[in-house]
Amino acid sequence: MSKAKFVYVIYIHTTAEKVWNALIDPEMTRDYWGLARNRSEWTPGSVWRHEDYEDAERLLVTGSVLESNRPRRLVLTWAHPDDAGDAAKTSRVSFDIDPFMDSVRLAVTHEELEPDSAMLHGISAGWPAVLSSMKTLLETGAARPMTQRRWGCDAQPRGV
Amino acid sequence: MPGQDKPKFVYVTFIRTTPEKLWSALTNPDFTRRYWFGMHHETDWKPGSSWRLLFADGQVADAGEIVEADPPKLLVIKWRNEFKPELKSEGYSRCAIEIEPVDGAVKLTITHVMDRDESKFIEAVSGGWPRILSNLKSLLETGDVVLKGRHLPGDHDER
Repeated sequence: MSKAKFVYVIYIHTTAEKVWNALIDPEMTRDYWGLARNRSEWTPGSVWRHEDYEDAERLLVTGSVLESNRPRRLVLTWAHPDDAGDAAKTSRVSFDIDPFMDSVRLAVTHEELEPDSAMLHGISAGWPAVLSSMKTLLETGAARPMTQRRWGCDAQPRGV
Repeated sequence: MPGQDKPKFVYVTFIRTTPEKLWSALTNPDFTRRYWFGMHHETDWKPGSSWRLLFADGQVADAGEIVEADPPKLLVIKWRNEFKPELKSEGYSRCAIEIEPVDGAVKLTITHVMDRDESKFIEAVSGGWPRILSNLKSLLETGDVVLKGRHLPGDHDER
């Protein structure tokens, strides 16, 4: 069965370095990424953890860093903690950060997803919310309220 | 399943504004020019009315018809490229623009579909929509667009 792919492109009035920082700075992800933080050494081969900002034991997504070319490209593997190590349930996310007309083009490519999986549906709803809020935070200094709190288990996407 | 593989572009963005302001931003020609790289719509936004999207110089980029209009919630446009023969020959696409209030902001969903097995037109709009909608979001939230200028590099090619 062929795997699914989700692509989202957004243009942000900022610099590539600031987008990179936004991806790894806990004080920023807390506000635009549903009260979560990303923890890693951000070097190829290192583990990365997407965890609750206030409770590091609450792991939401995990994987490893495949590529890290600051500030232009970051590639991660991505799995729900219960599925960690299961290649069939591990997807891949690439962040491509390119300067474009005095701003930045950020392309998030999430691929190798299981078709019709909860993860696919979750990230398809999640990335637009997270990246819309990241853009608002970088351009106005304040993220959107929707992404400043912990996401519930009901309608909210699993993983993102 | 047949039908699920039709070329389709879906884009969701969340904008700090109201449905009424977003509807106005989508339909007002002067406002549209500011975020749509100098382009604007020519229509009265009534179901059955003709619709055209014009470049800044007046050339017709795309044309079609308003299929549905339910302010400030839904617009559906029958939409065909008019300036590139290889895209025009694909015929009409369907573009649905949905506006929903959500948590002090507005969720805007664009669903652009072509009823063919393959579509260069959908490829083209897949490059164009993120630029237009990123600009629209910035303009409504900050008062200024993110990508300035009337024409982008490759503008006439991609959108």
